[in-house]
Amino acid sequence: MTRARAIGRLRPPTRDEATTLHRHRGGSAACPRGARRVATWSIAASLLGALAATCAAALAAAGDGEPTRAEETAFRAAVGRVAAAVVRLEPIGGSAAELGAGAEAVPGAGPTSGLVIDPAGWIVTTAFGVPVDMQRVVVVRPDGARLAARAVGRDAARGLVLLRTEPLSDTPSLEAVARDGMAPGQWALGIGRGWTHAAPNVTVGIVSAIDRAWGRGVQTDAATSPANYGGALVDIHGRVIGLIAPLPADTAGMPAGTELYDAGIGFAVPLEDILAVRSRLEAGETLEPGILGIAYRSRDRLNGEPVIGSCRRGAPAAEAGLRGGDRIVAIDDRAVERIADVRHGLGRRFAGDVVAVTVDRGGERRTVQVTLAASLPPWRRAVLGILPRENDARGVTVGWVVPGSAAAGAGLAAGDVFETAAVADDADGSKRVDLEDVRTLAGLLGGVEPGMRVTLSRRRGESVEAVTLEVTPGPGDLPADVPTAGDIDPAGGFTGTTTVVPLGGAEVDQPAIAVIPAGERSRGVLVYFGPPHGRAVEAEAEPWRVAAGRHGVAVVIAGSGEPDRWSRGDMVAVERAIAALQSRTAIDRSRIAFAGRGAGGAFAWLAAERIQTPVRGVAAWDSGLPRQASVRPAEPGASPWVLLGQGRGDLARQIEGDRRRLEAAGITVGTLPVNGDALPAEDLCSWVNLLGLL
Amino acid sequence: MVVHRALRMPVGSTAVFATLALAVCRADDAEGVPQPQAAIARAARAVVKVYGSGGVRGLEGYQSGILVSPEGRILTAMSTVLDSADVECVLDDGTRHRATLLGADPRRELALLAIDATGLPALALEPADAVPVGTRVIALSNLFAVAVGDERVSAQRGVVSAIVPLQARRGAAEAPYAGDVYVLDCTTNNPGSAGGALVDSRGRLVGMLGKELRSTTSGIWLSYALPAAELVRGVAAIESGTSDAETVEDARPFDPGRVGAILVPDLLDRTPPFVEAVVRGSSAERAGLRPDDLVIAVAGRSVGTRGALQRELGRLPAAEPMRLSVIREGAIVEIDLGPKPRVEERPHREDER
Repeated sequence: MTRARAIGRLRPPTRDEATTLHRHRGGSAACPRGARRVATWSIAASLLGALAATCAAALAAAGDGEPTRAEETAFRAAVGRVAAAVVRLEPIGGSAAELGAGAEAVPGAGPTSGLVIDPAGWIVTTAFGVPVDMQRVVVVRPDGARLAARAVGRDAARGLVLLRTEPLSDTPSLEAVARDGMAPGQWALGIGRGWTHAAPNVTVGIVSAIDRAWGRGVQTDAATSPANYGGALVDIHGRVIGLIAPLPADTAGMPAGTELYDAGIGFAVPLEDILAVRSRLEAGETLEPGILGIAYRSRDRLNGEPVIGSCRRGAPAAEAGLRGGDRIVAIDDRAVERIADVRHGLGRRFAGDVVAVTVDRGGERRTVQVTLAASLPPWRRAVLGILPRENDARGVTVGWVVPGSAAAGAGLAAGDVFETAAVADDADGSKRVDLEDVRTLAGLLGGVEPGMRVTLSRRRGESVEAVTLEVTPGPGDLPADVPTAGDIDPAGGFTGTTTVVPLGGAEVDQPAIAVIPAGERSRGVLVYFGPPHGRAVEAEAEPWRVAAGRHGVAVVIAGSGEPDRWSRGDMVAVERAIAALQSRTAIDRSRIAFAGRGAGGAFAWLAAERIQTPVRGVAAWDSGLPRQASVRPAEPGASPWVLLGQGRGDLARQIEGDRRRLEAAGITVGTLPVNGDALPAEDLCSWVNLLGLL
Repeated sequence: MVVHRALRMPVGSTAVFATLALAVCRADDAEGVPQPQAAIARAARAVVKVYGSGGVRGLEGYQSGILVSPEGRILTAMSTVLDSADVECVLDDGTRHRATLLGADPRRELALLAIDATGLPALALEPADAVPVGTRVIALSNLFAVAVGDERVSAQRGVVSAIVPLQARRGAAEAPYAGDVYVLDCTTNNPGSAGGALVDSRGRLVGMLGKELRSTTSGIWLSYALPAAELVRGVAAIESGTSDAETVEDARPFDPGRVGAILVPDLLDRTPPFVEAVVRGSSAERAGLRPDDLVIAVAGRSVGTRGALQRELGRLPAAEPMRLSVIREGAIVEIDLGPKPRVEERPHREDER
């Protein structure tokens, strides 16, 4: 069968066509006896045409939803029309855990179902049954025969997979229920073959809502579970409403569908939506949700006003000319009033689709065509070039200006106080933000990227003036001559002295040693992982004391639970150590960094990636990144600053590769100068301090 | 899964109160349309609340039971609730009776209790044919112990969703019964549901609600019922004092390496059962097995992982042909590895691991 014909067959028929189709399709699913007798008045012209009307009539005759045999026969007739198009799928291999004692329903671990949308061998199922890492799946036909299948295309937005297998004869053609033919309250039957290939399983409910999960799914109270994921949700006439699927968690805006399997909430992706993208899936595409690349001013992601806070550099919205301050008023001619409306407008659009976005800019309307993206170019950290003082007064007080930075070029100096800030490139550039404290300014800088201009109102003594400067990328390498904590923050109580204490004692399995600077607070925390050697001892603190005191940084020296290697349990110990540290000194949680040497360097990376506490800097020397490291693209406000040591031979080549990989992800990378076996304590402590660079 | 359990509990209980809200009393029509209200009214009188031991490790001290004779025979689920000298049954009229355990069927996990009373409203226990998938059913049970005193047990509506062999477990313990059950489209996987009655819309007993188990194939909580025919067999076994329990298979995994089929190393959680190498001159080579073949079934039973392949081979009796289905270059090929070698009497310790 040619593709054109297949598409023609599966396109949802118009009402007239549907009647014609009925008329020519014969009585393969003859109306059950009882039902037909109840509806002898039926004036439907043909045998199968009569089926739908008859079953419906049977229900009407039964009246008021009383569970009668007429209902049962209607269920069976509806299921009978579609059952042969639902097949069982069995996973082979994959990364899911084997189902053992207390096993949860996990993707890729057990059998699910698939819907044959074309007897030529095209089957649609869910990413729950065939996760991305599992390309192999076996189709079991209703007669028990097994067929090899492979994943051809994916719809990542709705968690669907198109499979190709051998031709499947005797599968019925499906009739899709058109969107405008769906309404809450109509019968919805879930059909799957997850329990056994030989007979379909059936659940009964109604359509609970349409256009859920930003328009991607129909909601039903018919039970959905791995036993019918990938199967069909059909109406009382056996027409396909959609493919039963646990919608991806983000899409539904709630726990992923799997967790809801007997909560009375299930989802199905409308078959007509699937058929609309069929040719793209057949061509092997992976359809991703489409992104505009904007941040909103409002923190309320649903009811907030759709006013753009900032547009990511190089992202679709920025490329199309949208700017901070623009208010979105329409998506594709559909008026929007809240952020939720925008999300609805984009919910069924994919990366690569072009969307017409209309904005109001200063009272003037303009419409731009935006090509949605699958992902954004990595965010690049941008800074003014100042280290602020910690104080309780309003505004942000400059503690140190990095030589050669934008701030230095604009003539800023220690002691200057910033009272307000505004992003000058915004459409409403005059919109100023009152700087409550350092965090407010850090938040504003989280929305800008190198090259953008920021206007600050700067108070120096009695005079207040506006200073505009162009922010620059955060430095990779450490600036020279970073002053001491006492110089930067004279009121901070940093005397340069330190105390050394074991952290936690009884509460912590593997007590770490901490070097804590004098004063009420620490300007940051450095956790050091040396070569694994078991429990840390106090003497190891000695090389850190001078640098920790100078820069006002608390240094935690971690011990390893096992004598010769770092293990997962040590991550937990470190998290506890940080918690224990907080009872001894106030710490700035935005300046926590991990550093390590050799095996400790690789572990520092993994630990930073996996623990709950946000880690803003990672330094590693005598090692490259571990093989399991996942380098995620930098995101606003959450991008680490990485320092890599140099190495020789193979290690040098590996480190160079790591550096390129990190930089491609938008992560700031610098070189850590290391001399032989000496601990680079001075550089590391000044670096932790500099994590607070604005 | 904490989220799931939290979500599930209130749903289960609201379902009780939403029960059959739609149903409207109608006279029988020419077809003999049944009256579900009448069916519930009749059947629920025979469903009792069973109270016994519990309260430890999250196990409830209550469940449900079915009066199967007017002389006080009560069929219920064999469970820890009955691990008590003081098992009591509260009947539909609110009367409380000390129950004695007459016997149990460990395979189906059924127990037969007796109370000292007569003239009771019982449900007929008949070896009826299985009701088909899609049949409307009503579950009657003491779920969550919401019915107190002489309050009638709760009714839930549902549909028979599937009829399949039970493959389930509770914690680490595999359910001993592996015959057909009704999988229900009705949330009966709840504390107290076990031992309750599943009736059709005419009020006839079609099954008994099962315990809180998880499917071993999908990991989901199962709502299921033991079919009436199995209840009849179970009661017969109890009353005759015999057991029709099948010999429990306790086969050790069989490594096809013994016939020359070397599998890929087991490094992943779900290592796919790929053939790594075939030993020259082995029966695997003679059978035509090749490196990179992916085994998907043994004697028609699916295997999705290396471990499952070894378990399925282990289940085969000695001398049975070891028939494998493999995927080779995208197509399925059938391979017969020949008769399974006899398992050695005393296995090496390494084999056991």
